[in-house]
Amino acid sequence: MGGLTAAQAPPAPSPRNPTVDLQLSNELPMATQAAVPFIEIEALRAKEFIPASKEALTSLIAEQGQAKLIRPMFNWSGRNSLFPLHWGLACCAIEFAAAFGARWDAERFGVVARSSPRQADLMIVNGTVTWKVAHKLITLYEQMAEPKWVIAMGNCATGGGPFRTAYSVVPGVDKLVPVDVYIAGCPPRPEALLDGILKLEQLIRERKE
Amino acid sequence: MQPDDLTRVLAPKLGENLLGVEAFEGMAGRVRFRREAALDLFRAVRDDLSFAHLSMVGGIDWVDHREVFYVAWSDSARQYVLLSTDVPATDAHVETASAVWPSANWHERETWELVDITFDHHPDLRHLLTPDGYAFHPLLRSFKIHEPEELEVKTRHV
Ligand code: SF4
Repeated sequence: MGGLTAAQAPPAPSPRNPTVDLQLSNELPMATQAAVPFIEIEALRAKEFIPASKEALTSLIAEQGQAKLIRPMFNWSGRNSLFPLHWGLACCAIEFAAAFGARWDAERFGVVARSSPRQADLMIVNGTVTWKVAHKLITLYEQMAEPKWVIAMGNCATGGGPFRTAYSVVPGVDKLVPVDVYIAGCPPRPEALLDGILKLEQLIRERKE
Repeated sequence: MQPDDLTRVLAPKLGENLLGVEAFEGMAGRVRFRREAALDLFRAVRDDLSFAHLSMVGGIDWVDHREVFYVAWSDSARQYVLLSTDVPATDAHVETASAVWPSANWHERETWELVDITFDHHPDLRHLLTPDGYAFHPLLRSFKIHEPEELEVKTRHV
């Protein structure tokens, strides 16, 4: 179903689309004139370069404010390099894997699955969460460095899915960790997963602190 | 291997604890025994009948009693055999098979937590599929489907 709608809909702006890049440059307000006196960088020795650039950055921040300069830069780099945790819980993990294959190629959005929670900033809960695995999931979430996000992929992670009344299934992973984006479907197609990741990028773009 | 072959080997070893050997489709036979003779039976089936591999252990809740069953495989006969014993629901326990077939270990843990049958002298009787301290035995017929919220409260706070 996702494939059909994606084919019929007009082409949506992608992160590689120039319009989005233009928005990006609005979001990064640069000083109209040099914030610091012109420094002849080439004339500086390495020892002098660090204090000089620090001074330049400090005065830029003082002029533009941290919220306007550092935060957008931070959000921009964060949302273009979302590293999900590489794990699978149930059948949705097959679609998760397909999204990283050649056909859907999630890497073009900067999404690279990492095998260690220390290197990941996105947890995609791709399958049925049982009470047995619940505290391992929480441990993995806590091992991830801030800032971090969670996508609940599929009906199981969203609300228990077909196993909602089963004796061993957590009815929705939001009972355990805070969830940012929910993706419906059993399983959601890889397009839907990519759409969820783009929705999350939108959330990160609007992040204030 | 036929049920008669099983009887010939097992009857002298188990005596009256052997309740019967029946034909069972797709297997060498179904051996019904009293739980008191469990260890003797396991040893005889493994050593004298060459069923070296235990492929599963399970339990059934028949409401008035419970049944424990074992399925073992023989490489030389290329056949399975079904062993089963009845235990009363109020006193559901049987000797562990894991001393004879180590592969029984996890199967018995699963049977214990799902059907509430205790295995005596089991080396490591902990929950396998449900969280530690889980309050239910979900494959018993008396188990009611819980509202997810109720299950959560009972599962989280044990
Ligand atoms: S939502 Fe459907 S496909 Fe995904 S893990 Fe649950 S049952 Fe499997």
